[in-house]
Amino acid sequence: MAYLLHQFLLASARHSPGKVAVISGEQSLSYGELDALADKLAGMLRARRVAPGDRVGIYVSKSLASVVGIFAILKTGACYVPLDPGAPAQRLAYIIRDSGITTLLTSAAKVAGIQAMFPDDCPLSTVVLVDCDLPPERWPTMVPTPAGVAVVSWKEIIAWSATPLPENLAIETDTAYILYTSGSTGTPKGVMISHRNSLTFVDWAAECVGLTAADRVSSHAPLHFDLSIFDIFSSCRAGATIILVPEGALTFPVQLAKLIERERITVWYSVPSVLSLLVLYGNLAAYDLSSLRVIIFAGEVFPVKYLRQLMAALPQTRYLNWYGPTETNVCTSYEVPLLDPERTSPIPIGKACPNTEVFAVNSAGEKVTTAGEAGELYVRGPSLMQSYWGHSEETAKVLIRNPFQPHFHELVYKTGDIVTLDVDGNYIYLGREDGMIKTRGYRVELGEIETVLYGHPAIKEVAVLPVPDDVLSNRLRAVISPYEGVELTREEVLAFCNQQLPHYMVPDVIEFREVLPKTSTGKTDRIRLVQSFSS
Amino acid sequence: MESVVNDYISRELVSKPELLPLKNDTLLLEAGILDSLSVLRLVLFLEQQFSIVVAPEELIPENFETVEAICAYLRAQQQGQRA
Repeated sequence: MAYLLHQFLLASARHSPGKVAVISGEQSLSYGELDALADKLAGMLRARRVAPGDRVGIYVSKSLASVVGIFAILKTGACYVPLDPGAPAQRLAYIIRDSGITTLLTSAAKVAGIQAMFPDDCPLSTVVLVDCDLPPERWPTMVPTPAGVAVVSWKEIIAWSATPLPENLAIETDTAYILYTSGSTGTPKGVMISHRNSLTFVDWAAECVGLTAADRVSSHAPLHFDLSIFDIFSSCRAGATIILVPEGALTFPVQLAKLIERERITVWYSVPSVLSLLVLYGNLAAYDLSSLRVIIFAGEVFPVKYLRQLMAALPQTRYLNWYGPTETNVCTSYEVPLLDPERTSPIPIGKACPNTEVFAVNSAGEKVTTAGEAGELYVRGPSLMQSYWGHSEETAKVLIRNPFQPHFHELVYKTGDIVTLDVDGNYIYLGREDGMIKTRGYRVELGEIETVLYGHPAIKEVAVLPVPDDVLSNRLRAVISPYEGVELTREEVLAFCNQQLPHYMVPDVIEFREVLPKTSTGKTDRIRLVQSFSS
Repeated sequence: MESVVNDYISRELVSKPELLPLKNDTLLLEAGILDSLSVLRLVLFLEQQFSIVVAPEELIPENFETVEAICAYLRAQQQGQRA
């Protein structure tokens, strides 16, 4: 029984070393090759003093290197911190400092970005080039790095011994990875997930989908997004083949349809907006997508009209709606039955996964038991995160003592999501009461964007509001009141945002006003603002 | 036509100032100017500005590679409509 995520790789490599594990464009690695490369890289990392408990960053575009890197880091007993390859330098520098990363895995394509992150005072001691995707003649011999940082080339790693490291460097309650999510106070926070937390999801997900070695699973989600945990680890557990979908390759939905057809993808897992765009612009009728046996979606509400069209185009496929915050990974699941053509009500998030419990608590502090009653969703079980990295106060607000179990100190996670029950006992998502929203499946704290904007010297007041969108769930609208007499242009605001925020957090619409409406208590009246948009 | 399209893209879709001024033959996809979200915004703009409808099978890289490619596509659409 695996108790550490990377034990799946060892098992699959022993069982079927020649089986293709990962495909990236024209290239691929078998399970045997992947395990051997990960062993070499792990050996090198350990020789460079990477110790159990360390945080090692991964800063690469989706590629074979990313998968080799993940397993190598896990084998050393350290945890991996995936960095969004598209995020601005300032944000990545913050994450690297915050999590105490001193060793960073990167590639020839991304290494120049490190200079931008640390113009002076670089906290990194070692940069490791994982260039397994490049042919030897293109391995870089010189790379620009900040002074005092050691560079380890892929040539050195290939030459390293493939002797595996001892298996007992980590135990299941150790951190496997830290995923950074939007923080309402202005900086992102790192969700610490242990091997045991992760396996709770990985094992269940593989069983739920019935993954086998014959499956060809797409890896669409970026590595810093917890959907990737299914793509990589559930697939590895089953000995299936993972097909990496690079970030830029899917700008046009027809490219996605072509990829699914060409690679005979059997299992697809992504946010709903990707699927809505596929339905609208993917020209599905022109492609043979019959290989798809399961489509899973999570991260935001899937508009029923687009789901219905997708199900009509691909009737032989199973459809699963998964729900769960990064702090717990997926905790409820709902298999979508044939939809009534008249139905407009949202798809339920379903019932708790095996080995997880969920319950809703109403405003009186009681568990919700009757259909139609609403409450905040709580999660109980081994999938709960360990903590937010370095934020024990923030953690204590959401990981609280189970109010319904008095015998020992047991934690439950408050999701902040408001839900209700339907007559079949399925939970239905209603909304949130705070400033966290979803846009294109990304989790965004409006407060984080506002805090960043308040950092601009010309901005006196700002409110960022969600504007519901048919396909993308929400767009972002910033209403700004600059200081009197100060000139501020839209372009300046956008440039300022692009320096600090990932693209999905940059407001789509920027509006300037002299003054923002206020409530009787002097706070910004967001309801009135939203109302003023439609008039 | 080229300046209308170039102007829109430069103003609305380019997030990195070092990419400006935008040339009509700059590869928009490679430069990262067009991603799945900005392509849709561009399509919406083109449909409104030039009174055309972009069919799903026309939403392909070839038609959006550069400002020049976009204009060639638009002209072909407008001619098709007139006929």
